[in-house]
Amino acid sequence: MSSNSLRHLTKINRRTLIGGAGGFALAHAAASKLGMPYIGSAAAADPIRIGMIYAKTGAVADQAEYMAQGSLLALETRNNTLLGRQAEVIWLDEPTSQAAQQNAERLVGEHNVVGIVGGSLSSSALAISAVAKKAKIPFVAANAGAIDLTGRLCNKYTFRLQPPADVHTRVLAPYCAGLGKKWYLLTAAFAFGQDIKRSFTEFSAANGITLVGADEVPVNTADYSSFILKIRAAKPDVVVGGVPGNDISTFLKQWNELGMKGKIPFAEIAVGATDLWGVGPEAADGLFTINWYHKNPNNPPEEQMMAATYEKKYKRPAADKTWMGWMAMNALLDSVETAKATEPGAIVDALENWGVQRGGVKAGYRAFDHQMVNRLLVVGIKPKITDKWDYFDILAETPSNDAEIEKVFGAQAQSACKMDTL
Amino acid sequence: MFDLILSQAVNGLVLGFLYVLIAVGLSVIFGMLGIVNFAHGAFFAIGAYLALMLNRDFGWGAALLAPLLTGLIGMLVEFVLIRRLYGKEPLLGLILTFALALFFEAILRLVFGAAPLPFNPPRFLAGFVEYGPVLITKYRIVVLAVTVFALVAFWSFLEYTPFGRIIRAGSRDAEMVGLLGINLPIVLSSVFGIGCLLAGLAGMLSGPLWTVNPSMAAGAIMPAFVIVTIGGLGSYAGAIIAGVLVGVVTAMTIQFYPDWSSAAMYVLMAVILLVRPRGLFGEKWERFE
Repeated sequence: MSSNSLRHLTKINRRTLIGGAGGFALAHAAASKLGMPYIGSAAAADPIRIGMIYAKTGAVADQAEYMAQGSLLALETRNNTLLGRQAEVIWLDEPTSQAAQQNAERLVGEHNVVGIVGGSLSSSALAISAVAKKAKIPFVAANAGAIDLTGRLCNKYTFRLQPPADVHTRVLAPYCAGLGKKWYLLTAAFAFGQDIKRSFTEFSAANGITLVGADEVPVNTADYSSFILKIRAAKPDVVVGGVPGNDISTFLKQWNELGMKGKIPFAEIAVGATDLWGVGPEAADGLFTINWYHKNPNNPPEEQMMAATYEKKYKRPAADKTWMGWMAMNALLDSVETAKATEPGAIVDALENWGVQRGGVKAGYRAFDHQMVNRLLVVGIKPKITDKWDYFDILAETPSNDAEIEKVFGAQAQSACKMDTL
Repeated sequence: MFDLILSQAVNGLVLGFLYVLIAVGLSVIFGMLGIVNFAHGAFFAIGAYLALMLNRDFGWGAALLAPLLTGLIGMLVEFVLIRRLYGKEPLLGLILTFALALFFEAILRLVFGAAPLPFNPPRFLAGFVEYGPVLITKYRIVVLAVTVFALVAFWSFLEYTPFGRIIRAGSRDAEMVGLLGINLPIVLSSVFGIGCLLAGLAGMLSGPLWTVNPSMAAGAIMPAFVIVTIGGLGSYAGAIIAGVLVGVVTAMTIQFYPDWSSAAMYVLMAVILLVRPRGLFGEKWERFE
């Protein structure tokens, strides 16, 4: 090899080294955020693995981040151990429902997880549920609200924390009816939005409410101004929304921009606190149902402790989604401990009997459809927001005791679930 | 009914011009550099985040620097990565810019978090103007005015300045421009920077209207591609007319067939491409044939 070519080689190598190192660092930083599996604790020999499927990109990525952090916190507070063994979380993405299904299959086939927690959107949760049923692996859906998940498409291995749209509707609709008898529905064109539309339409038909308009909007709509102009022309007494994640933030910003804030009341079920934090105090408006609120003085001590730990670690308050991720993961981890085994059937049995006392209500999964019964909060935006993390006044906690559960969540006879066997 | 149609048409026009601003940068970069820039939406998001941060820390005056900074980031990206693609297989450009889009989204998520950040129009532009059935907010009027000004200024720059003539010549025959002794790499960096500056300007103007979050690029990039395709790849006038068309057609679809609102612009694109496969103002460019 000549000296020239050697010099050339040396030059290229140095550049390659610097470029390669830089490229590797960048690629590593990106990959860690772009769908490469996250492994939540150092792996010891034969650890117990828990699968987690939460969105890393898209309209619900921010909610999913809080849920994931809540779920991870649940395991961390157990020192990353289960049944006296090392435990780890494997977090995969859910960019589409098809990808969610494939990732659920990966968790089962490649990582041998003992259970899965997640499903930021109903479409993803329904896809993961199908895998759970086929693979006979327990799945706790944290956020999905589509009725079918614990209704027509229920199965023995799927449990759901979020109350479905019809439950939220039973809680919020009477408040809407108190505001007026002419409603306008603006719901997203996917499973949860369509359930909201159906539930509120049924309520309105049964309670003498007139629907002066009902639009289905695509998920990730960037500009709602044309929809708002339609609503303005229809002159409803209340607008009932059913748009998810960031979309409600966008809608409320434009609702305020077009001068509608305070003119026509806006209501929506199952919002996340982060959606409203993203709107800002100037534009935030509405009446909502929410699962949990960090400023609720009635939160049980262990939830207050979780919120304090979360805030200390992440330098921001725990959102409702944090609690949902934490609660869903806790149910699964508690059930593994109760079952004293990683055998799916034993975990499912334990999940069916799992419960925690929350105020006057014992929260837990009903055996006949695996829907969690729990209390919901009805909240309104504070007249004046002075704390960027405190937007809500709590108007009601429903159901407030076990006797009210059936009234809010419905009876077994009303359920479309035909539960299968292990 | 006429009132509603008029109201929606005006609203669609404003929305369309915002889309034009996003699309023009994309069109310019393709027209001049031959790069289909999938990362264009990321520069839009960077513009929105920079405006938000500058506004929060220093006020709206400082936020006006956001497009300029976005343009500088664009030039840096061109210098480090994009210029290695000139004259190479077009697929490489697609892959690299797509990777860049994902990379920038991840960086935004890493730095600012996944949650949307509050960003509203300045208080002095709060409120709206009503003229008969037409309602338009003061902020959207400003958006429209700034967009039209930016488009006219950029067009004048290309048409009437020596540098604009070099850019136009370079887009047609880069080799000849180089042979004339002109430093073409600087010209090309500038073009990419200007395209990103326009994306940043669109991001700054859209931030107070849309939700500022790391995924916001997705809401911008698809209409931009549709507009560029309808208008004709690389056509400045085509992008403007296509943007207005998309805005008005979307608004009208929302009024009459809301379920089809997300599909309307794609149907429009399909119809136009069936009639005129190069788009409305698409030309035959030797270098792309």
